[in-house]
Amino acid sequence: MLFKDDEVARAEAKAVRENAGWYRWTHDLVTVSGPDAERFLDWMLVNRIAGTAEGRGKYTTMLDEKGEIIDDLVAFNRGGGLWWLSTLYGPHAVRWFDAHCEGFDVAYEDVTQEWDMYAVQGPNSAKVMDALLDGAVDGLKRFQIIEAHVGEVAVVVDRGGFTGELGYEVYCKRADSAAVAQAIEAAAAPFGAPRLTTLEVYVRSLPMEKGMALRQDYHHLTPYEANLGWSVHMDKDFFGKDALAAAHAAGERRAFVGLEIERESYEDIAQKEIIRKRGVPVGYAPAFIYGYTVDKNIGFGVVDAKKCPLGTHVTIGPNDSPAIVVEPRWV
Amino acid sequence: MALLAHVDTHRGVETAFGKIIPEKEAYSYCLRTIAAFSANIFQVMRLLNDDWEDRTSQICEIANMMNCAACAGGEDELFQYLNAFYDEWNIPELVKRAAWIGGIWGDYGDEAEDMAGRVIQFTENRVEKELDSCPWDIVGSEMCNMTTAMFTANFDIAAGGEHGAITNDVALNMCEARGCGNPHCRVVAERLDHFNLEHQSWLDHRGQPTQPVHDTPPERRVKHAQGLRNGQYVQAFGEENSLEWQYNWVAQMGWVWSISFPLIAIRDMAEDDDEFERILRIVFATAGKNSFVDYFAREGLRAWLDIPREIGDNDPRVMGAYIDAVLGCQLVPHEWEAFDADGVEIRVSQEDFEGRFEMAPLEEITMGYEAQWNGACHTLVSPEWSVWIDEDEDDYLITVGRKIDDRAL
Repeated sequence: MLFKDDEVARAEAKAVRENAGWYRWTHDLVTVSGPDAERFLDWMLVNRIAGTAEGRGKYTTMLDEKGEIIDDLVAFNRGGGLWWLSTLYGPHAVRWFDAHCEGFDVAYEDVTQEWDMYAVQGPNSAKVMDALLDGAVDGLKRFQIIEAHVGEVAVVVDRGGFTGELGYEVYCKRADSAAVAQAIEAAAAPFGAPRLTTLEVYVRSLPMEKGMALRQDYHHLTPYEANLGWSVHMDKDFFGKDALAAAHAAGERRAFVGLEIERESYEDIAQKEIIRKRGVPVGYAPAFIYGYTVDKNIGFGVVDAKKCPLGTHVTIGPNDSPAIVVEPRWV
Repeated sequence: MALLAHVDTHRGVETAFGKIIPEKEAYSYCLRTIAAFSANIFQVMRLLNDDWEDRTSQICEIANMMNCAACAGGEDELFQYLNAFYDEWNIPELVKRAAWIGGIWGDYGDEAEDMAGRVIQFTENRVEKELDSCPWDIVGSEMCNMTTAMFTANFDIAAGGEHGAITNDVALNMCEARGCGNPHCRVVAERLDHFNLEHQSWLDHRGQPTQPVHDTPPERRVKHAQGLRNGQYVQAFGEENSLEWQYNWVAQMGWVWSISFPLIAIRDMAEDDDEFERILRIVFATAGKNSFVDYFAREGLRAWLDIPREIGDNDPRVMGAYIDAVLGCQLVPHEWEAFDADGVEIRVSQEDFEGRFEMAPLEEITMGYEAQWNGACHTLVSPEWSVWIDEDEDDYLITVGRKIDDRAL
């Protein structure tokens, strides 16, 4: 929970928006390999994975039999038939693959315990990275992934992140984690780029302002309801496609929207708090946070698509906090 | 909303007269009955030991030890236990897991027990939890201290500098407690190294944290936890527990932490088992008698259970229906053997009655409820009627019948 008067959180958010900041940002990491790895991932994920160039990645969702989101992740083609899946649900993904890998010559493994990852984010993040690495990062495209060195330490770097700003992610072996953290700190210091310590600033506040959600916010929505229709490739086969196509043809029942609460704070709003329109339940609010760039209490909502167009006035939670439905992106 | 739309999902406890107590109400009542039982047990403790510091230290120590024992074993076992927890709750690597696990552990337990509130802050170095309600707020200050000892165990287990190592590196304070008269309960954990703090003793856990707290204003507080108001509990990383799961969990675990753990120490405060059981029966009998001395309490019960007017005040079915409702809301399976104007008999397996948490059966439940229900019967129905519990092979037979006892309590 973040509050307007939290000056530490505000300073951390400001650093990423206006300068740069860094923090440990270790996702679950699942490797996929084998002769059918690409074909398997193309089947499991809605985005077009086949043909992804070596050293590039794609954001995508994974669906269940009902065509509803069970994970969102970035799939990186590491080359040589090896793929990396960056997800928050590694053990879940492995269990899901176990249940659906029949007919594919594929191997996969949750290697989260082997790798640490740090994020360097903000408009000046490239300067920090250039000071950190043995080569420049200027030319990196979004979701491009390369091998590099921090001093003598081998690392893997991609251009990406979860703040909506220019940013980079640095993977290293667990054994090298302390050395890499020390090196990032040293590289960041001349630019006045702090280490972020308030988890909710970089997990929730910064991403939400830019419209970036976690899987738990999208869970059991269709990609179309989650405003992720752009990532769906209906011209290929993928798991859950028929159900998704049928749901899309029938029209989206739910809408993933933004919410602005018209009160000082949101202490009575938990995850999945009920949203009401004129006293009648019309959806739920998966997440709320304070946004320091917009200086508002903001959140995501999953609402009845027909009943809650943009501008609808609703109330949230047990104390009927007034809120308005807006686009789910503020900055 | 028409019932048809929810007939498969909206459950309840049926009273002896066919009225349905809704699931949420039954859940709340279950919590309060466990808390009331705990309050009686703590009265027994106060009679056995008149030194607040001594008795509080004793129950803190045992509660901490028992909570640690929940995941005892070698380092490998602890590692596996924690990993299973991380997996179940999907606590990702991007957080410093050790900083979160204590909070998440506590948070889902609080929410299941309708200790409604919010996590104000979760960082690597500090966790602050604020609670607006607590069904156990009738038990007393020793309980508030004891719960911090249990939280300490959670942090001891999980918040060590090394994954899976127990290092006790967190200062944990319940700096406010509803059971002591504060508007909130507030628990703050701060890392010793970061805040330059020293290790605490059992009676040090009610101090103030080093950093300022966030006080939620009255208009933003909540009366019930997520499960009761929204139908499920959702933790920070999206994992959910259904209302049904929570209800089943507290109907077991509520007896463990608030009764079973402190009882280990309380029994040792007595000279022998006879003295402990003598005092326990006296305390519970008194609590029972006081339950229904008020006219409005008796009338309220009749309305709650929908007891028809044809059944008069001096009828054993009034008491039988009450016991049935308590057992029903506590999720204890039982059967009627008799239910008429001549008396009531309820059959329940000993395993179900005493083994609310299968691994830790409590014979004190039988002793306590026999005395409490007998006392309650004397004011709810009349002294002509009594309640007693007989063993019948693997079952208990709870009887509401006529009994003349020249040495009645």
